[in-house]
Amino acid sequence: MSLSAKLGYVFIAPALVLVAVFFLTPVLLTGIFSFTNMSTATGITGGAYQITPSLLRDLSDQGFEKATLDSIGSESYQIAKATLQIAREAGSEPSLLAELEEEHLGQNFTSRREFERFLKKLQNRPRSTRELKSTSPHFRKSLINERFETEKDLKAALTELQTKLTPDQINKLSQAAYTGWVWTTDNFYKMTILPETKQILFNTIIYVTFTLLLFNVGFALFLAIATFYLPKGQAGIFRALWLLPRISPSVLYVVLWKWLTWDTGFLNAILNPLGVAQRNWMLDTTLNAWVFVVLINGFIGASMGMILFSSAITAIPKPLLYASEVDGANRWQQIRFIILPQLKWPILFVTVYQCLSLLTSFEQILLSTDGGPGSTTEVWALAAYHNALDNYWGNLQYGYGAALALVLVVIGVIMSFIFLRFFRFQELVRQPRIEQ
Amino acid sequence: MSQNFKNWPILTALVLATVPIVLMYSYLVLDTITNTEPGGILPSSFTLEHWRFLYEDIEGKANIWQVTLNTLVFASSVMLLVLSVSSTAGYALSRLNIPFRREFLAGVLILHAFPSITLIIAIFLILQLIGLYNTLIGVIIVMTSLQLPLGIWIMKGFYDSVPWEIEMAGLQDGASRFTVWYRLVLPQVRPGIIALGVFSFLSGWGEYILPTVLAPANNVQVLSGYLASLIADDRNFEFNLFKSVGLFYATPVVIMYLFFQDKLMNIYGGGTKG
Repeated sequence: MSLSAKLGYVFIAPALVLVAVFFLTPVLLTGIFSFTNMSTATGITGGAYQITPSLLRDLSDQGFEKATLDSIGSESYQIAKATLQIAREAGSEPSLLAELEEEHLGQNFTSRREFERFLKKLQNRPRSTRELKSTSPHFRKSLINERFETEKDLKAALTELQTKLTPDQINKLSQAAYTGWVWTTDNFYKMTILPETKQILFNTIIYVTFTLLLFNVGFALFLAIATFYLPKGQAGIFRALWLLPRISPSVLYVVLWKWLTWDTGFLNAILNPLGVAQRNWMLDTTLNAWVFVVLINGFIGASMGMILFSSAITAIPKPLLYASEVDGANRWQQIRFIILPQLKWPILFVTVYQCLSLLTSFEQILLSTDGGPGSTTEVWALAAYHNALDNYWGNLQYGYGAALALVLVVIGVIMSFIFLRFFRFQELVRQPRIEQ
Repeated sequence: MSQNFKNWPILTALVLATVPIVLMYSYLVLDTITNTEPGGILPSSFTLEHWRFLYEDIEGKANIWQVTLNTLVFASSVMLLVLSVSSTAGYALSRLNIPFRREFLAGVLILHAFPSITLIIAIFLILQLIGLYNTLIGVIIVMTSLQLPLGIWIMKGFYDSVPWEIEMAGLQDGASRFTVWYRLVLPQVRPGIIALGVFSFLSGWGEYILPTVLAPANNVQVLSGYLASLIADDRNFEFNLFKSVGLFYATPVVIMYLFFQDKLMNIYGGGTKG
C-alpha cells in the first residue's frame, strides 16, 4: 500500500464512521422501523408478556371462546408459600399467617368474599374489618396485569389454569399478550386508508408550490434583479437585510412573526384604530395560517435564490448590457432577453433543490402554527414528526412516524440521485465557491 | 448598474417589500429596553426590567448562564469536530490516492443533497439504544455527522484550488505527506476553514429540532429550547421578555455575521436549509 493511500485511510476514517453510523444507518433504520409497530407502549428494545383486561375484550371480540377468557380473567385467592411470603412482608398478623401456613396450605378460593368469610372463622382471625380487608388482597392471584418476562413463563402460568387450554389457544394468547414490537405492514395500509393522509398530502403540495414559486424562485429573482440595478452600497444593504431571516436562529425568527400577528401584536395595534377587529392573524382562519406559513418560510428561502441568481447575473458580460441599451432596449426587454436566459440553469437548480428541502422542512411550521388551526397546515414532514416524536396523546408512534418519514426518505434518495446525474454539481455550483 | 434607467421604481418596490423585516428586527431591539402601552405602536417608557432574566432565574426555567454555556459547548464542539473531520476527509478525497475515491465523492454529493431532517426519528431511536439520549455528546455527534457531507464537499473544493506545485516542492524537500498537508496545504485553505467554521458554529447555535428531540432534559438545554419553552409557557406571556432573551441569543450570530458576511454568503448560496 502506498503511503498516500495509508494516510488517505487515516484521513477519511473518522468521516466514514460518523457518516455511516449517523447518516446511512438512520436511512436504513427508517426503512426497518417503518415495518414495525414500535411505539412508546411497545418500547424499542423488546417487551414482556402481559394479559390486560382490554386484551381480553379484544380477544372476545375476535371470537375467542368466552368461558376460557373468563377463566383467564378470573381471580382466585390462594394460600401458598408465595402469597404467605407477600403477606408477611406487608406486615400482616404473624399468628394468623402461621395458622394458615400450618393448617390450610394449598387451599383455593374463587372469590374475595368466600376467602374473607373463611378467614373470619379462623382461630387467629383478624380483629377488625379493616385488618381483614388489608390482609386478604395479599392472597389474590390473577393473571391479569401480571408481567411475564418470557413466553415460557406465561405459557406455564396458562397451563396451570383450572380450565384447560389447548396448545393452540395458548399460542394465540401468548402472541396477543406480547407487549414488545412486532413486524407488520400495517403502517402502510393505515397510511392509505386514513383520511389524514390525503389532507397532509394536499397541504404539502400547497406549501411547497406556493413557497417555491412565490418566494424561493419568484421573489428571489426579483431581489437579485432589483439589487443588480441598484448602486453597490444600496444593493449590499438590501441583500444583508434579506439574509437576516436565514441567519437568525429559527426560534427567534418565528417569535418576531408571532409578535407581528398576535392578538395584541403589531398588526392589531395598527389596524385596530382603523376599525378592524382584534384577532390572532396567524391562527385566525385557514387562509391566514397559510399566508403566514408561506411568508415565514419564503422570507428565509428567498435568500438562497437571491445569492445564486445575483452571482449568475454579475457573470453576464457588461458590454452585452451596454449594447442592448444603445440599441434602445428598455429595462423589461433587458431582463427578458438578456438576464433571464442566463439564469435558466440556476433557476432550475434552485427549483429542484428547494423543492426537496421544502418538502422535508417543518421547523418553521412547527414553531409558528404547529399545523393549526386544526390540522389545516400540517404538512407531511410535520405529521411524521408529530406521530413519532411529539403527539398529544403521549403514545409516540415510532413505527408509523418512520413509515411517513420513509416516503420522504425515498423521495430524497431519488431526487439526490437526479441531482447527481443531471446537474453535474461540480460544474454548476460546487466549484470552489468561496474565494479568498 | 445602468445609468440609462431610473432607480426609484426599483428602490420603492424593494423598500416596500423589506418593510416587514425592518419592522420586525428594529422592534426586536427597541422592545427589549422599552415598554409600550397596550394597543400602542410606539414605546412609551424606557426600562431594563426585560433583561432581568440575566440575573434571576425565570420560574420553572433553567439558569440562563448554564443554558448559554451548554449552547456554547454544543456549537463550538460541532464546529471543531466538523472542521477537523472535514479538513482531513476533504484532503483525502481531493489529493490522496485512495481506492473508491470516486464512489466516496458521489456518496458525499448525494448525502449533501439529502434532507437529513427526515432521519430524526431513526436517530432518536439509535441514541436511545446506544444510551446517548439526553446527553450533549449525543446531539453533538449527530449534528456533526449531518453537517459532514457539506463540510467535506466545501473543504474538497478548497483543496482542489491549491496548486500541486506547493505539495510537489514539499515532497521534493523530503517532507512526509502529513507534514505537507499540515504545514503547506492547510494554511492555503484558511479561508475555507474560516467559512466552514463560522457556518457550522452558527448552525449549531441556531439549531432547534435536534437538541429538542434528542436532549430535552433541563440540564442539557440549549438557548433555542430555552426560548421555545419560554414561549410555550402560558404563565408568563411577555413578548418583551422573549425578545430580550432572543436578542441575547442572536447577538453572537449577528456579530459573527457582520465579520464574516462575504464568506458566509457563499455557503448560504449553496443552500443548506429551506
